Amino acid sequence: MLLLNMVKQGTKERKPRSLGKDALRRLSRNSAAVVGGVIVLALLILAVGANWIAPYHYTEGRIIDNYLHPNAEHLMGCDFMGRDLMSRLIYGTRVSLSAALVGAFTSFFIGVTYGLISGFAGGKVDNVMMRFVDIMWGFPTLILIILLMVYFKSTFSTVDPGTFKGALSALDSRMGGMFFIFVGIGITSWLGMARLVRGMTLSVREKEYIEATRAIGTPRSRILFRHVFPNVLGPAIVSQALMIPSFILYEAFLSFIGLGVNPPMPSWGMMLNEGYVAMRSHPHLVLFPAIAISVTLFAFNFLGDGVRDAFDPKQVG
Amino acid sequence: MITFLIRRLLWVIPVILVVSMLTFLLMHGIPGGPFDAEKALPQVIIDNLNAKYHLDDPLWKQYLDYMWGFVRFDLGPSIAYRSRSVNEILSDQWPVTALLGSVSFAIAFIGGVLLGTISAFRQNSIVDHASMFISMLGLSIPNMALGPLLMWIFALNLKWLPAATWGTPAHIVLPAITLGTAFMASFARITRASILQVIREDYIQTARAKGVRESIVLIKHCLRNALIPVVTIAGPSFAAIMTGSMIVERIFAIPGIGKYYVTSVGNRDYPVVMAMTLIFALAVVIMNLLVDVSYGILDPRIRYN
Repeated sequence: MLLLNMVKQGTKERKPRSLGKDALRRLSRNSAAVVGGVIVLALLILAVGANWIAPYHYTEGRIIDNYLHPNAEHLMGCDFMGRDLMSRLIYGTRVSLSAALVGAFTSFFIGVTYGLISGFAGGKVDNVMMRFVDIMWGFPTLILIILLMVYFKSTFSTVDPGTFKGALSALDSRMGGMFFIFVGIGITSWLGMARLVRGMTLSVREKEYIEATRAIGTPRSRILFRHVFPNVLGPAIVSQALMIPSFILYEAFLSFIGLGVNPPMPSWGMMLNEGYVAMRSHPHLVLFPAIAISVTLFAFNFLGDGVRDAFDPKQVG
Repeated sequence: MITFLIRRLLWVIPVILVVSMLTFLLMHGIPGGPFDAEKALPQVIIDNLNAKYHLDDPLWKQYLDYMWGFVRFDLGPSIAYRSRSVNEILSDQWPVTALLGSVSFAIAFIGGVLLGTISAFRQNSIVDHASMFISMLGLSIPNMALGPLLMWIFALNLKWLPAATWGTPAHIVLPAITLGTAFMASFARITRASILQVIREDYIQTARAKGVRESIVLIKHCLRNALIPVVTIAGPSFAAIMTGSMIVERIFAIPGIGKYYVTSVGNRDYPVVMAMTLIFALAVVIMNLLVDVSYGILDPRIRYN
């Protein structure tokens, strides 16, 4: 009797919680992740509101101000063309964050679709699709992305704007070169996601509840979308969250070597490239972009770690 | 074991085929040729140059010729650097990249494993928190930011080390640290997580119960097993370090092949781009093969059949 009462009290005290709520609660207790989240939020605000927040436009500058050191008018000084460094950093947030988010979405979409099809089809199809992933695994990502970027940038730009390729090229130049960066990141970084999703699909497919749905005659497409897909989604999102810093790095890498955004669009990678050559006498040109990109990556890394730990409490480290 | 090795070595062939075909098609799909210049050359000269480098052959023939040369280690002439063959360029510049990459990898691997081990054995101490924070910092500073910063501090201001170029051992220090830091950080984090998982295993308990000395338990029983996930990422990391040197070689003006890669793509120097891409891909495949082999050495439960 006493035991029963205790059990009753116990059930009364603990309200049922969903996995998502549980994860959110664990996330909010992780102070590093909260700091990361706040910084990411601040960066999002900077990116969206760059037009109002930045004191100058990113193209605006007087050549007489070139290499100006930080002062009251230009808090972070000016670059080699006399453009306000802080404003360019703020606008640069847009490039970095959209590379991170759109790149993540593209590679997520390709990877999840590919993995689901491969795992769900099984047999010969699975075998062929996974051998292709294994082969592409041997292609160094940075090399492939360089080749693709050069290919896109020069092939598409010479095409008549009336055609499909020409329209893509026009879109790319309107976006300051960001469109092809998204495409490049998307088609080079889905391999890991495809492997992960395919593995999980294989294991989910054999579960009893899938067998039960099959037994009552549910069509295959419905099994795939209603039963397999939702079970694969959670871990896939977590793994993609951990990949975000690498997408930011790809964009910075491309812009650093001159295959990323088109000037005058400001990217942190490009600003570092412009800055380090004049570093001896104008260290501010390197210092501020370096801080901006490091703080951003730091925040995304902490947030990603927190999300992973929150969804998987057994995980250590 | 032998059949496993042979099967894995045969796997290199399709990888090289696909990588080479894709690179070849992408490079030849780019409009413009290696002889485009500000001041256009007369068509006759371009035709002659194309004939000299066999660029007027059909694509499939150019590809087969190239691959036939590749398997005989004859990588053809460089088109942009007229008087040199790709073999000469590689034998001059590949050792530089390989040395820089190996030193960075050694720093990353040894430093990372040490840092992670200390962290795990002193879990939740101040040492642990500090080293994990530093690891996160190392993971978050990209080499294109770290390189200039290190150069500014240690070369331009303190003047302890040379700022750029190549030659003496002192020249290797800054670029190697720049290249290795992020990988050291990820090695440290994985080592720590892995040790913390292994240390809870039953066989550690058993070893302690039968009275094995604690230091032996930690090194022989724990660390050896904990290294397996670390070795798993060592393969891809080594490959990433090699390609990552493109940025570092640029910043520190080091005459390795990474610096020439981007230039060669821009120059449409087909033989150079093909050779470098294939060498990077071979490095990735071989490192992954070594990783698979080393599993068997670290974990005797893994059998190859």
